Amino acid sequence: MTVNPIPPLTPAAFQVLLALAAGEAHGYAVMRFVEQVTAGTVRLGPGTLYRTIGRLLADGLVEEAEGGDPHAPHDARRRYYRLTPLGRQAAQAEAALLARMVAAADHAGLLPAKEPT
Amino acid sequence: MSGQRPRSLTPHLFVRDADGAVAFYRSAFGAAELLRTRLPDGRVLFVELAVGAGRLLLSEETPSLNALAPPTLGGSPVLLLLEVDDPDATARQAVEAGAEVEMPVREMFFGERYGVVVDPFGHRWALSTAREQLTPDDIARRTPPDV
Repeated sequence: MTVNPIPPLTPAAFQVLLALAAGEAHGYAVMRFVEQVTAGTVRLGPGTLYRTIGRLLADGLVEEAEGGDPHAPHDARRRYYRLTPLGRQAAQAEAALLARMVAAADHAGLLPAKEPT
Repeated sequence: MSGQRPRSLTPHLFVRDADGAVAFYRSAFGAAELLRTRLPDGRVLFVELAVGAGRLLLSEETPSLNALAPPTLGGSPVLLLLEVDDPDATARQAVEAGAEVEMPVREMFFGERYGVVVDPFGHRWALSTAREQLTPDDIARRTPPDV
């Protein structure tokens, strides 16, 4: 049987992939990105960041980049990560699904009316 | 705070030989180790594993902390339900890694392909995948009288 190679993403996992979509970054940058993009409503603490990145590394969705100091303490905030091709594919699939749901929400009148042009 | 709703539910297993258990859960169920803390004497206090979309905590048996493993208790009253794509393949992997089959994987009246294995540390795992989407009435109708 064929197993879907893309594992399901938690919200935190998608946020981390999104933060890395523009290029490699260290954990601090990932935390800042998530805080900014969610207008401060989501804060990835160091523990969540570490666990989420650990899961993404194990699933092959992100990998460690060389940018960081290999002797730095085992702290996800100080290490550099980037998407793997599978990670990009997973982020694209999730973004496409979310876009469909946002379109449906808009259609259902759940989004503020657009300014008339 | 009252009215607070839990965010998740995670089993915390006590085992004899935490390192062996981590190795078993890795090869049997594809677990990934996320975190490990030790007591000053080197004993594993807990290991946090990611298993599928869930988490699993493991600690070395420590009677002084009332952390007792199944062999000490004479068994386990808990069945851990692991939903996978292919329970036959997962059961095979678990057996290759040292588990014993308690109930072979088979089609069940509740619409799942389902079996039970006991891991080498005495914890029981149901391995399952949904085959049909049944309503509670469907299941009641199909329940054999001798269950």
